[in-house]
Amino acid sequence: MALYVGIDVGGTFTDIAVLGADGAVMLHKVASTPDRPEQALLQGLREAFAAHGRAAADVVRLAHGTTVGTNALIQRRVGTLALVTTEGFRDLLEIGRQTRPRVYNIHLDRPPPLVPRRRRFEVAERILADGSVRTPLDTAALPAIAEAVAAAGADAVIVCFLNAYANPAHERAAAEGLAAHLPDTCRVLASSDLYPEFREFERFSTAVLNGALLTVMGDYLDRFRAGVAALGVPVAPYLSQSAGGLMTLDQARAIPIRASLSGPAAGVTGAAARAAEAGFDRVITLDVGGTSADVALLMDGRCAEVQDRTLAGFPLRMPSLDVNAVGAGGGSIAWIDRDGLLKVGPDSAGAHPGPACYGQGAEHATLTDANVVLGRLNPSALLGGTMPIDAALSHRAVAALAGPLGLDVVETALGVTRIACAVMTRAIRTISVERGHDPAGFCLFAFGGAGPLHATQVARDLGIRTILVPPSPGVLCAEGLLAADLRGDFVRTLLAGLDADGLAALAGARDALRAEAEAWFAAAAVSPQDQRCDWVLEMRYRSQNFELPLALDPDAEARDPDALAARFHALHEDTYGYRMAGEPIDLVNLRVKALGLLSRPAPLAPGAGGDPRPVGSRPVVFEDGTARDTPVFHRDSLAPGRTLDGPLVVEQLDTTVLVHPGDRARVDAAGTIVITLGG
Amino acid sequence: MALSPIDIELVRTALGSVVDEMYVALMKSAHSTNIKERCDHSTALFDRRGRVVAQGESLPLHLASMLGLVEVVLERHGRDGLGPGDMFISNDPFVGRGSHLPDVAMVMPVFHDGRLVLFVANIAHHADIGGMVPGSVAGGMTEIFQEGVRIPAIRIVKDGAVVEDVLDLICLNVRVPRERRGDYLAQIAVNRLGARRLAELFARTPVAHVEEAADALIEAVARRMRAGIAALPDGTYRFEDRVDDDGMGTRNIPVCVTITVDGEAITLDFAGSGPQCRGNINTSFAGLQASVLYALKVLVDPDGPTNHGMVDPVTIHAPERSIVNAGFPAATAARAQTCQRVIDVILGALAPAVGDRAVAASNGANTTTTFSGVGPDGTYYVYMETIGGGAGARATRDGVDGVQVHITNTSNLPIEALEREYPILIECYALEPDTGGAGTWRGGLALRRDYRALGHVTTFSAQGERFDSAPWGLSGGGPGGRGRHHLRFDDGRVEDLPAKPIPRDVPPDAVVSVVTPGAGGFGPPEGRAPEDRAADLADGKVSPAFLSRWYPDPQP
Repeated sequence: MALYVGIDVGGTFTDIAVLGADGAVMLHKVASTPDRPEQALLQGLREAFAAHGRAAADVVRLAHGTTVGTNALIQRRVGTLALVTTEGFRDLLEIGRQTRPRVYNIHLDRPPPLVPRRRRFEVAERILADGSVRTPLDTAALPAIAEAVAAAGADAVIVCFLNAYANPAHERAAAEGLAAHLPDTCRVLASSDLYPEFREFERFSTAVLNGALLTVMGDYLDRFRAGVAALGVPVAPYLSQSAGGLMTLDQARAIPIRASLSGPAAGVTGAAARAAEAGFDRVITLDVGGTSADVALLMDGRCAEVQDRTLAGFPLRMPSLDVNAVGAGGGSIAWIDRDGLLKVGPDSAGAHPGPACYGQGAEHATLTDANVVLGRLNPSALLGGTMPIDAALSHRAVAALAGPLGLDVVETALGVTRIACAVMTRAIRTISVERGHDPAGFCLFAFGGAGPLHATQVARDLGIRTILVPPSPGVLCAEGLLAADLRGDFVRTLLAGLDADGLAALAGARDALRAEAEAWFAAAAVSPQDQRCDWVLEMRYRSQNFELPLALDPDAEARDPDALAARFHALHEDTYGYRMAGEPIDLVNLRVKALGLLSRPAPLAPGAGGDPRPVGSRPVVFEDGTARDTPVFHRDSLAPGRTLDGPLVVEQLDTTVLVHPGDRARVDAAGTIVITLGG
Repeated sequence: MALSPIDIELVRTALGSVVDEMYVALMKSAHSTNIKERCDHSTALFDRRGRVVAQGESLPLHLASMLGLVEVVLERHGRDGLGPGDMFISNDPFVGRGSHLPDVAMVMPVFHDGRLVLFVANIAHHADIGGMVPGSVAGGMTEIFQEGVRIPAIRIVKDGAVVEDVLDLICLNVRVPRERRGDYLAQIAVNRLGARRLAELFARTPVAHVEEAADALIEAVARRMRAGIAALPDGTYRFEDRVDDDGMGTRNIPVCVTITVDGEAITLDFAGSGPQCRGNINTSFAGLQASVLYALKVLVDPDGPTNHGMVDPVTIHAPERSIVNAGFPAATAARAQTCQRVIDVILGALAPAVGDRAVAASNGANTTTTFSGVGPDGTYYVYMETIGGGAGARATRDGVDGVQVHITNTSNLPIEALEREYPILIECYALEPDTGGAGTWRGGLALRRDYRALGHVTTFSAQGERFDSAPWGLSGGGPGGRGRHHLRFDDGRVEDLPAKPIPRDVPPDAVVSVVTPGAGGFGPPEGRAPEDRAADLADGKVSPAFLSRWYPDPQP
């Protein structure tokens, strides 16, 4: 029996999903071991196989998502780096964009650079914006620099030269020259190899972030690979990427930064697969965890990508799914600001001390406490009954806010949930309305521990009529890992006009990228019938600096400048509300996304479906502020095909689903709850 | 209907998302480097009386031009003179209550069911607004007529259509009109975007509800300010500093403040500040007010929202026709220099009253460089930018090196963006060692930026400050480094330039080197930890000579 294994290593828990080719589902959850993440992972795998009587030898796919890299950067537990840069520009990495993060808070500083000044070295060389050489590279200086780099104990050196995006020759020559004089233990990287686009600080920063993870992630991946092999898993594992696809471990070792935002991406991929199965391809995802809400928009089942992100306070230029995270989760703390207005988050009570109702000494009211007060969460135990709580503590914490606000406890609790939902709604507006999509045409896919609890309010604010809740929202990331394809991203900067020369450059870039993609397919052993390439051409008016992406047919369209211009003008008007008909247009970047299509395991089968009668009832406060006696169901008892009218509560291990009065819930064939809003 | 604190917070979130979206849209769709890369722009919403309700992530100095903007439109056109589909453009410091001509504001009334409800507005600093000097901010200008086109709150859009005649008139009078035109169109589109978002909001939330919440939001900010002021010890606080010069021969111009804190009220009196001068460093009252509000907010409510509520608890007295309250026809293009000094004296005066929030003098300048000319390819260009410097040391931490401070927070222009667009080569962009004032906590280092014209003669002009008076330290901390401009010729000659040089031609065999001021230190140098001294030395942020001069004591 072929097995598919998805493993999501989070900061708190490591989730393992083992899917059989017959649709069998085996889920396993263990506490993470942040210092040695592979320990929990391997232990969990061993337990999962043993508990379900499966053999590692039957594994045909093993995909892994992890926050190891992100956490290392946030905690600055990274490698010792050196930087070699153009003479006169040693401080560029530290100066950044010369701005302070907050205008009025002069006590909040940008983070210090990951490479301190003493390990930043200069070398004479200079390339101009057109790629021509103004000052040749002083290769004679490289041995002494290499010696200083080695003496500083660096395990990676990043070569960052100005205008290297236009001509990488100096960076490559310097990298080779340095490598020749450095021990093998010190890696050498060039900024233009990773991200050959203009804006030096962002390019240097991306290269440095990647360099910072080389050792941390490299060591981790080696231990992970060896451990998995020792378990008897016969296939090479894959790692997931920020942009949603998978890569081989060798690819991940070379560019570990690609995995840095892989957790949320896997969740979105899982949601896309689940939603497609339920028949929806216009989907907004709402993943509400303990500290944050992550939202994303799927058009035709696909999530848009962004190239610019911030990681640990530094800019990162790397494709990633357009997932918008805001500080509103179950643990978000409600507080009264000095102007008397009620706020929720972004501070979170985390797992310790957690919400007040955990009884671990916390006095702050959290979003979870508000839901306990409203009866929306079980007042005696959470996590499917496994974690006892004290509702009186929630009441006390919320009451402490109610007094100063001049409201009663229930009004205050309702206010806390409304404000948290407003924060989530604002995050969704950013990725929908602000991108030209009316959310009313989408369904809301709710997951995470607190997503299905708040989905209805959020949907109503956005004009959304349909909510989907997958059978097991906690395992969605692991599912997403198994729904993903292999993926490689390649880019060429064109910076050419939309004219004969520009089209020639475009054709040249296309051929070069095609060769790169083919090499990548070969390295990842993707057979021809599973290869796909998606092309995107980024264009802008010559005098602008932010480009707009057009999906491109690289052969036909690359010959027709008028059609390209017309498409660009229309896209610009759609996006920004005006066009400049006479303004020259520039071709900025050509990107190709190479996909190696992978086979899919059978969809998760729904549970057997037992007695659909409620296990009890309790008073629940809905939006009108009055409490209604509301039936409570176990998720396991909701068989496919069932339809139930709200109000009702559905409880399960990893989430609580709230169906409001007037709304209707239906369980589809795959076990997904489809809520249709009434009124 | 009385709204609860929860309803008000919900409206705040909704309005905040409108100004934030407008801000990003303007950055991404603008054409000039000053907006698209340096983010020298702001967005805001106003109530129907003209009070700022919400402001995006904006520059403090733009608040100056925002505060009086809608009032000016209402005074000129009357509320009944405004219709749906109107948009107004304004930039004048005197009739328009702006702060200098390059900051061009656009404001649009937003109606619902035929009734005026709110205004949306944005301001962008245009790299040129005409006048006698490219870039419109260089030294040498003595009255506002030399500084560019004055625009008195007139329609730029009428009945939904751009008034092309007005746009043509403006564009004919400014340098690089094609780029400017693109920016104006982007500004117009962004206001329309904001108006569309408000219409969507009114469809979800009753207008009366939004209006009542807007009042409450302004009152909430006023409450925050009053609470912050009340937390300061009552008393009278004084401080005096000076602006180096006006570029036209007037030197050592005093800026003085006497601050009286009395319960929830605060009064700032600038009596004793110098008379308005010929050069363009004068600030209008709007610029003074923005500076005062910035400094107070930094000290008493740094994390709160920005809106008109900041204005009410603060009383400002300033002598008429003084450098801090200039009258027509004073030149004001470089008013940011004086605004920085206004902030310095307020932070200095209140340092004894704010405990750990005290901060030593930051670089105190808005170092501005402008290059213009005809490049080797025959294209005319104007390129301006402002450069950061040291940030003052704090009572608990070193100052930040090489950063924008106080009244401004514009980004640098990436060198690779600059070199693609202009025939200018940057030869150095670096922290300048030994410019951070010594102290238990070190002041931030200055920046150095070196420019060379490629294959043509460029015209250089600049606005520097603190070339003479150094940024001061606090509680025994040493002063920060002073600013400098030099011209370094390839044959070895070096020529010092003044802080505010009149425009001068620079050939391609010379480098213009700009060094901005550093910042003051905090606490006595002998209190500096040995590991911090060692780190500064290892990083080359201080030289051995500086170390032995300022830290002569054997290390503890």
